[in-house]
Amino acid sequence: MVKFYENAFSYDYQWPAVTLAYFLRYPNPYSTHVISTDTLASELDPVTGNLHLTRLHLKRGKLPASVARFLPKIKESYILEHSVVDVKNQRLETETRNLDWEGVLSVVESQVYTPSAERTTRDGKTDVQTIVRFESRLGSGKVVKDVEEKRGFFSNWTTGSVQRSIELVGVRRMREGLGRSREGMKVVLEQLRERGMVGV
Amino acid sequence: MSASIDPECSEKKERYDTCFIKWYSEKYLRGESQTDECKDLFKEYQICLNKALKSKGIDAMIEEARKTSPNNDNAKHG
Repeated sequence: MVKFYENAFSYDYQWPAVTLAYFLRYPNPYSTHVISTDTLASELDPVTGNLHLTRLHLKRGKLPASVARFLPKIKESYILEHSVVDVKNQRLETETRNLDWEGVLSVVESQVYTPSAERTTRDGKTDVQTIVRFESRLGSGKVVKDVEEKRGFFSNWTTGSVQRSIELVGVRRMREGLGRSREGMKVVLEQLRERGMVGV
Repeated sequence: MSASIDPECSEKKERYDTCFIKWYSEKYLRGESQTDECKDLFKEYQICLNKALKSKGIDAMIEEARKTSPNNDNAKHG
């Protein structure tokens, strides 16, 4: 079972500043659950001039009780982020996905940042398209077998209904999380503006 | 700046991050750079980081994820 969540949003800042804020978005007052961020790879494509970055975030898990009762305690989770900056065409593509418990709930968030066609008099705007793909693979194949062998906590549930409720909670949490990450980006953008770094 | 997964690497990470952000905002975004100028600092940081990832046992998980990513760029450029 797969669920999608789509969203469009604009920041009142120019594209270069928004991309900088993306890489500087942690820490911010809305990201207290993010423990660490590390860069795993940074490569400049000599042909296209595109910048490829891979980063690893460690987040404190905050599962709602309705999901937590199905799952073993998840205290921390790893998020892998891959982004490509195409500076010539002013396009930033990002993809983040959870690494652990992927078999229980896989969440892949893809975003595209481009300059907005609609321009205000003073500053440009940046559009962000977000697509989040949720998939609970419980009950399909090897992963769940491993999980069952480890904990045996699904014996009384039909996997279909468990999958559905995990996905539903996942979508709701994502919607809340997206709002918070947007607010966090705005704080970072405001800081960049104060430091005179927005006109990059 | 954000913290590193291993406090031992924080100093090296901060030096690299500072270099990267300066290069990214002052050169790359202006189309003035075709080379990554923070490579040496990145290498030092990676030596520390890779040790930390290995000792936490998450290096294999990351490797696997990068191979199977829905975005094939990961495999190509990882």
